[in-house]
Amino acid sequence: MPVDWERLTSQLARYESAVLNGPDRDGYPYSVRCHPQPDAATRTLLLSDVTAPLREGPASLLCHWHDERLWNQRSFVARGQLARNGAGWRFTPTQLIVGLDNGPITQGRLFMHARGVAARYLAKRGLPRPIIPWAEVIRIKHEAQANLRARGERR
Amino acid sequence: MTSSPAALAIPAEIEAVFRAFLTCEFSTLAKDGTPITWPTLPFWDTASQRFVVTTSIGFPQKAYNVRRDGRVSLLFSEPKASGLERPPAVLVQGDATAPDEIVTSFTGNEDALRQTFERQPSGMIFSANPLIRYFSDWYYMRLLIYVTPRRILWWPDGDMTGEPRRIERLAAEGMEGQEASHAS
Repeated sequence: MPVDWERLTSQLARYESAVLNGPDRDGYPYSVRCHPQPDAATRTLLLSDVTAPLREGPASLLCHWHDERLWNQRSFVARGQLARNGAGWRFTPTQLIVGLDNGPITQGRLFMHARGVAARYLAKRGLPRPIIPWAEVIRIKHEAQANLRARGERR
Repeated sequence: MTSSPAALAIPAEIEAVFRAFLTCEFSTLAKDGTPITWPTLPFWDTASQRFVVTTSIGFPQKAYNVRRDGRVSLLFSEPKASGLERPPAVLVQGDATAPDEIVTSFTGNEDALRQTFERQPSGMIFSANPLIRYFSDWYYMRLLIYVTPRRILWWPDGDMTGEPRRIERLAAEGMEGQEASHAS
């Protein structure tokens, strides 16, 4: 199924750079920062600044952003195919996966989705729902807050 | 620091990146071989020379991928709020394991949770009151992924257009050691 090109390029435009991920010669993932240029005519992304030792074939592209306090996160991943293009590469997107986003609806949906996945993870293994040691969490949280205050970082 | 003949001699500037960066881009391999990459909070343990990455059972795909194929990578290319001046970009390729064990106790992992709260203060909201705790308990049901570096590449000043410097373990069985290359 072809990817929604307009949606992909509008997402891409929100980021200064991206991370290209492909297997290297040993089959290990290899990631590199890059600056994809949309080629509307072919509905592909040109990666002229990538010289990494990647293999042609399945690859992905990640864009993500967070603020100084690791909040207001947003991200997406595009899956696709990577092919050589002169001295650089060409990425043909085939799937767009939106990750985190600022919107409360997106976040709420993701939250409930994860809760459902967690329930199925436990059910598949016949496990009871674990009890979280909240007192321990809260104690460590208070320590973290004290550390932040001591460094003058607590708002 | 525990050291063994197979331990990598990791430069101090690289370990500084491991400790100071808030996130890395963590890649696992999907069934069709596509590296799937998401931003992740990694924890570097100098003594064991391995990373611990955790994920909730609400997002278990990373762990599933590792159980099928342990080849992973971590890219440190986003220095925001790290406090480091012109740090290198660092790519770690390694071998991972992901035991099918749900961890909810923080005994022995207090530092990791404390670091998470300090890196991401707003995340403390997930334990703010009994109602939120009821709905967000899944977040604290964690799967642990252990990554042993096999090869570390880095680009001074974060400029990834040039040739990286590298250190790696030798792959030959019984000859585990390391080699270094400092192409510039």
